Amino acid sequence: MATSRAQPKTALGLDWGELAPLRLRARTAADGAWSGLHRSVRRGAGVEFAGHRAYVPGDDLRWLDRHALMRHGALMLREFETETDRTLRLLVDASGSMAFRGTRGRGAKLAYAAVIALALAWISTHEGDRVALDWLGSGTARPLPGMGGSEAFERVALALEHAQPEGVLTSDDDLTRALVPIERNARRGSLVAVLSDLVDLPDTALERLAGLGHRGRSLVVVQVLDPDELDFPYEGPVRLRALEGDRVVDTDASAVRGAYLEELARRQREWQTRLGARGARLIVASTADEPGEVVRRILVAFRGGAR
Amino acid sequence: MSFLVAAALAVGLFVVLPAAAHLLRRGRAAELPFAPAAWVPLARSIARRERRLEDRLLLLLRALAVLALAALGAAPLASCSRLSLSRGSGGSVALALVLDDSLSMHAATKGGASRWERAKGGAVELLSSAREGDSVGIVLSGKPARVLLAPTTDLAVAREALADANPSDRASDLPAAVALARGLISDATQADRRVVVLSDFAGPPPAEGTPPIWAPLPELSEPAADCGIVSAERRGPHVTVTLACSVPEALRGRSLELIGAKGTSVEPGAGTRSIDISSGKPLATLAPSPRAGVQVVTLSTDSNEKMLAVRLTGSDDLARDDLAAVAPDSAALGVAVVADPTRGSGDTGGAPLLEQAIRALDRDVLVRPLGLLPEDAAELDRYALFVLDDPSGMGPEPRRALTDWIEKGGIALAFLGRAAERMQLGSTLEPFVQGSVSFRESPPPGRIDARSLLFLGPEAGALAELEVRGRAVFDDASPAGVKTTARFADGTPFLVERTLRRGTTFSVALPSSIAESDFALNPAFVALLDHVISEAEKRRGRRHTTAGSSFGFGGVKPEVLGPEGAVTLQDTPEGPQASAAIRGFYRVSIDQREELRSVAIEANEITDVPKPRASGAFGGARAASNPTVDVSNETALVLLLLLGLELIVRVRRSVFA
Repeated sequence: MATSRAQPKTALGLDWGELAPLRLRARTAADGAWSGLHRSVRRGAGVEFAGHRAYVPGDDLRWLDRHALMRHGALMLREFETETDRTLRLLVDASGSMAFRGTRGRGAKLAYAAVIALALAWISTHEGDRVALDWLGSGTARPLPGMGGSEAFERVALALEHAQPEGVLTSDDDLTRALVPIERNARRGSLVAVLSDLVDLPDTALERLAGLGHRGRSLVVVQVLDPDELDFPYEGPVRLRALEGDRVVDTDASAVRGAYLEELARRQREWQTRLGARGARLIVASTADEPGEVVRRILVAFRGGAR
Repeated sequence: MSFLVAAALAVGLFVVLPAAAHLLRRGRAAELPFAPAAWVPLARSIARRERRLEDRLLLLLRALAVLALAALGAAPLASCSRLSLSRGSGGSVALALVLDDSLSMHAATKGGASRWERAKGGAVELLSSAREGDSVGIVLSGKPARVLLAPTTDLAVAREALADANPSDRASDLPAAVALARGLISDATQADRRVVVLSDFAGPPPAEGTPPIWAPLPELSEPAADCGIVSAERRGPHVTVTLACSVPEALRGRSLELIGAKGTSVEPGAGTRSIDISSGKPLATLAPSPRAGVQVVTLSTDSNEKMLAVRLTGSDDLARDDLAAVAPDSAALGVAVVADPTRGSGDTGGAPLLEQAIRALDRDVLVRPLGLLPEDAAELDRYALFVLDDPSGMGPEPRRALTDWIEKGGIALAFLGRAAERMQLGSTLEPFVQGSVSFRESPPPGRIDARSLLFLGPEAGALAELEVRGRAVFDDASPAGVKTTARFADGTPFLVERTLRRGTTFSVALPSSIAESDFALNPAFVALLDHVISEAEKRRGRRHTTAGSSFGFGGVKPEVLGPEGAVTLQDTPEGPQASAAIRGFYRVSIDQREELRSVAIEANEITDVPKPRASGAFGGARAASNPTVDVSNETALVLLLLLGLELIVRVRRSVFA
């Protein structure tokens, strides 16, 4: 039976593990991933046709392809590429569940998300784009408005270094408080990267986060999970205690492993389906994965999703 | 408990280790953090439940294994409350069990059971530890001490005999019982001989001797607060009740009631009945003063009921002695005396010396002086003894009546004197002596041979100093059945016994008159009266006696019904006898007539305080047999069984996991 090597360190600080120092790890990840993939593109109104996608309620009807409707009987939108100024908006989950680190992870999930976020910020600032930072769940971490240049990178790094996994994100009000700044300030063409374990979120979280992909914004949701959460390696009778709330589950790990993995896969399919319908992408990242590889997958997703 | 025993038993404290390990293990499982715990099914699985059950079973098995290990360590050293025979040399044992079946053993112990039940239980435990080759004898110490079972190696017979043993209302005679027990095993082939006494040790202590006794149940000697009715006798309208109390508190707030005995446990009947006799109004009530020891109180009644009983209200530690039968007026042994007051009295007058001497014996007898000789045998039916002093012969009717009465079991005693020479025509001294009787005033040459009168006890020696002025001389050789018990130095008879079917006559060659001799003032005179009264009691039986005594019936075999049913008669040289072990009324049916006899208890059975003594108090090394039970083998087997069970559970767990 696997056991947790590290307890949640909400009181003593984040378990960075192999992911410290943050700046070095982020630059390494960014350097490994960034090889000209980043292009300042967006999909939407423009001159260069970029392809079709399925219509979803709320889309601008001006871009409805009536030829496709008449030919195939399906509502399709035409998308075009155009160059524009973009802001990368990082939405990092700092709730209590992000403190978890299993036996095989490089560090706590929040630490891993911080590396990924800072790597994206590094790439963005070096491309001359602006970076903004918002939080999910944390009541103490302060958001950073969009800004550019090396100073922006340093401020993001500083904010991520001092992030503490704490709090519970269970109510719609908390979620609204976190998302309103993005919905209000992110203009068309902005890139929104959500880094969260998607655990213990309100029931409306999926719908609200998927909504960030509207209005010409590109959305990539990165689900950061510990390897223990991905394959449930425990054996025999276990008592599992959630990191948010007081939930305690007595169970036989061997017997329920299949049910848990099935539930995890079902939730991921649901996220992928709902996000895909909004032109967004879900990336599942394990804290045991190489951060550079994850950053590269995010950049690819941004490029593939920008229409 | 020695240090080694304590240390071995202390190992048992490690029983907490499996429990602690179990709890610690459970604790670690309970604290496993897991962020998406909400996605894990909440329901406890069947496997988990089974595992938990197995965990508890394992915990129990391990705890028991630790305890068994501790017991195994202490087993050869620890004492066990269960009695058993330890065998120092490993050889067989000759065991004499002395079981106290006296009244005081009915008292309750702290555990709720009576002393008798505890003692009998202890005897059963001892018997269960006996093995082939051991011999067991059982002695009951209720008075008279008697052998219930002669030593036998058949343990099944011993168990049966023990199962049939019952408590009684007898007094205790522990010294005699212990002596009897020692005698039982004195010739045993076993070298290891033991006397085990299961008694409360109330009364005289047994003598020290070999083998020393072992008293393994000290709880039997715990003090008891008891107050009981020793006896009750009716004399006309008065009922004299003798009470005995071990402590004054036992009588405080209680009263004495005179009631009808019908329906109570003292009435002759077919079985044990309840002592509850609350129905009916008491005939008389008295509140005795609470004090320890013996006291006599008197109740009065004009009731004509034949069977009365007295009871003590309230309760104490021994309820059995709170109810007693009232001995009826006719219960005392009747003695008819025919004596001439003018010749048989002393110079001071009053009753004849003969009557005074009989009363001075303080025996339970009722002396009735008769003015005339009876002419019908029925007139003597109420008497057991007929005493005649210096008769001047008897006519045909009195002679026939007396002979008939004697042949039915009567005892007659005649002191022959000067009047024997003045017999009228047609009168004889039959059935005492045959032929003529003369009176010689010359003193006898020499003394009476006291060695022939040893049955009178040490008082017989006083006959050697007898002053005799005259004596009766008669022929003692003619009829069959005549035995001359003692003679004067010149060979003439002094005391002659004659047997007439079931009865006996005693003829003494001296009158009671002090004018002829100082025989009436001699201790042997009183001893002779006492002997004759005892003979009368044997023949006719005492009407009022104490528990443990035997009734005699003068050679006939009557039917006897006691408080607990029919009484089995025992054949003795003196004829059939019935042993009355239970207090109450006994109905004796002889020759189509019935008589009522009553049985009381002895006061010292209540007033004697139990004397606690340590187990093996008389002990030498062998007597202080330690009641140790070596259960090492059994404990080791249990330990092995526990380990095997744990192995099975663990294998099952691994297979089904």
